[in-house]
Amino acid sequence: MLRVEHVMGFPVSVRIDDGAADPAAAAEEVFAWLREVDARFSPFKPDSEVCRLDRGEVLAEDVSADLSEVLELCEHYRVATRGAFDVRLPGRALDPCAVVKGWSVQRAAELLARAGATRFCVNAGGDVVTAGGPWRVGVRHPEQSDRLCTVLEVTDGAVATSARYERGDHIVDGRTGRPATGLLSMTVVARSLTEADATATAAFAMGAEGIEWAASQDGCEVFAVDAERRVLRTPGLPVAA
Amino acid sequence: MKRALPVLALTVAALIPLWRYAPSSGTTETAEAAPSTPTPSASSSSSSSSSSSSGSTTTKTVKGSTVNTSKGAVQVEVTFEGDKISAVRMLRQPNHPQTTAAVPKLISATLEAQSADVDTVSGATITSDGYKESLQAAIDAKGA
Repeated sequence: MLRVEHVMGFPVSVRIDDGAADPAAAAEEVFAWLREVDARFSPFKPDSEVCRLDRGEVLAEDVSADLSEVLELCEHYRVATRGAFDVRLPGRALDPCAVVKGWSVQRAAELLARAGATRFCVNAGGDVVTAGGPWRVGVRHPEQSDRLCTVLEVTDGAVATSARYERGDHIVDGRTGRPATGLLSMTVVARSLTEADATATAAFAMGAEGIEWAASQDGCEVFAVDAERRVLRTPGLPVAA
Repeated sequence: MKRALPVLALTVAALIPLWRYAPSSGTTETAEAAPSTPTPSASSSSSSSSSSSSGSTTTKTVKGSTVNTSKGAVQVEVTFEGDKISAVRMLRQPNHPQTTAAVPKLISATLEAQSADVDTVSGATITSDGYKESLQAAIDAKGA
């Protein structure tokens, strides 16, 4: 079963091959959850919890357990990157999108697992979470949109990529306030998409030094293309045969 | 400075369980990590020391013996300022994961463009407009 829908401004493909008694219902649960996340956490919707928190209409101690979890993750990565990754940039609205995406799609994968799905693959605008593989996950070439730069084989796990080629200079290095330009592309493989996506974005914000930083994160494998088009990867990266 | 050598011996003794401790070797070996009398198995180089005096406090640097552990040879150098240890430096340490940086050695390659049959594509967050032209859209169209 395959279903594609656009939520949160990007396409989400849900493919369920095995296990779920009612795959269509399981997929619908995923999209309902992602639409709910969009309504609650979008920095572009004035009545979202994120915007109300930013305007002071919701007190920090009154935020929902979900938003609290997201903000804790944001703070963890801000501290871990010494401020390069920061969702509260001076003069800008609170924008936890980078963490919300991975976190919410990982939750979606858990919904599928709870619905009985044993073999599935979710691709949310380029971030991938899988179960019951092997799944062959291509990594888009940073300069040629119709080509790949590597192929990974993932059984149960997640792959996330951060780069500028789709949305331009949207990732800012919180230490300088300027767009991060030290890397062409940063791909992270991890157990969960929460970790993979946040680590990829945070490392991209750090620039070239983000490669070693991401490689040192527990459970993360890295495939990075630096500004000189050099590929650097960890030895444990699951490259497909 | 008579206290220096006992302190040094204790410093080395305290390090030995650390090198012996192997996190991956199971859960029943905690006894091994308990401090025991160090029994260097083989070569033990003699200690040497040097000292310099500046003003009221004396700075003294003492090299410890080389102690062989199951992970390899360990030797420390301890610097004293007066009676206090001001620095401990590893002169020799085993080539073991515990003593190397947590960053794995990265493999370097040149960027290559390839085409391959894949189930899905990871890339920078694509917009709904960009999706139409993307590899993922082609994969989804094929699978639908």
